Amino acid sequence: MSTLLLHHDVFTEHEPPQGHPERADRMRAVERILSHPHFEDLRREEAAQGAREHVLLVHPEDYVHAIEQSSPTEGEIALDADTWMNPSTLEAVYRAVGAGTRAVDAVMNLEVNNAFCAVRPPGHHAETARAMGFCLFSSIAIAAQYAREAYGLDRVAVVDFDVHHGNGTQDVFWSEEDLFYGSTHQMPLFPGTGAVSETGEGNIFNAPLSAGDGGDLFREAMLSRIFPALDAFQPELVLISAGFDAHERDPLGSLQLKEEDFAWVTLRLMDLAAKHCDGRIVSMLEGGYDLAGLSSSVGVHVKALMHGTGEAAQPVDEDEY
Amino acid sequence: MTDKAPAIADMTFEAALAELEAIVEKLEAGKVSLEDSIAIYERGEKLKMHCDKQLKAAEARIEKITLKSDGSAGGTEPLDVD
Repeated sequence: MSTLLLHHDVFTEHEPPQGHPERADRMRAVERILSHPHFEDLRREEAAQGAREHVLLVHPEDYVHAIEQSSPTEGEIALDADTWMNPSTLEAVYRAVGAGTRAVDAVMNLEVNNAFCAVRPPGHHAETARAMGFCLFSSIAIAAQYAREAYGLDRVAVVDFDVHHGNGTQDVFWSEEDLFYGSTHQMPLFPGTGAVSETGEGNIFNAPLSAGDGGDLFREAMLSRIFPALDAFQPELVLISAGFDAHERDPLGSLQLKEEDFAWVTLRLMDLAAKHCDGRIVSMLEGGYDLAGLSSSVGVHVKALMHGTGEAAQPVDEDEY
Repeated sequence: MTDKAPAIADMTFEAALAELEAIVEKLEAGKVSLEDSIAIYERGEKLKMHCDKQLKAAEARIEKITLKSDGSAGGTEPLDVD
């Protein structure tokens, strides 16, 4: 098996004001864990800037133009209470898009089995024409639409286990019966969407969890609601919105997941991808705001992608180096 | 968001419930920023616990009254409620 890691230094240069939870240190924590010798077999590439025409597969021209025009030459500007741009943000969001589309190319062309995009800012809250919740472009929805456009895929799925509901991805997919969106998330919580009753064209599957819920209820939600729907959908490509803020240590969520739960869901998604689409998975980082919880969870997630079952569920011991 | 909010322990049931309802409405309507969302949710949880505790105390007082052996409502001395 082989796994591609897409990354770029600019992801540590996008920096909201001091005290903001979606901070560059998140990316440094991810870089640190993925520099461990356990990950030396990762194939590593710098993420190029995504093509504007690919962004336009999801976002209208007026919106893209407005984001580009908002980019400051110095300092930071707020698009809303959560969502900021500094002089590096525009490049970062374009490289996050480029990471997703390059990852799609790599798995579709059988260069690698799967890919992880270590990117920020996240994307799953960005709606077609609205930046919110730290997100500007809906990177994973763009990757999904790109896969359909470039490779003629009929059915592309996104599974999202971030603690917050991916309202943006749901918004983009809402009327697209051949795009699957399945999400576990805490409710009530930002952004307020994600009820079971939100079903789109029968292609949206929300499985809300309650504050305090742990791995057993997370797994039950996946097993009873998300996985059967995904299996029936028969995806030709599986994308993962990999947010790790459902971790028990996270300050922005109240779920109680542990590293082994992230390993478990990764392995089960790999099983389903193996059954339906030769294992093709592209995973993109979304949230995760406790640096220790984020890095160890990314560690087990990427280990699972690299090695499948076996040692995957064991967290990397950072004390080893 | 809780810096200027009143101390929950001092709030009446009605005030706590009103704030809790406002919090639920805000969360469901997506009117809260992502960064503040969890803090607001946690205040809601504390308000809910405060309301639950007051309700439990009120229920215990009613139980005390109804348990009077002669059937009369002879007092409203609260039971110990944890």
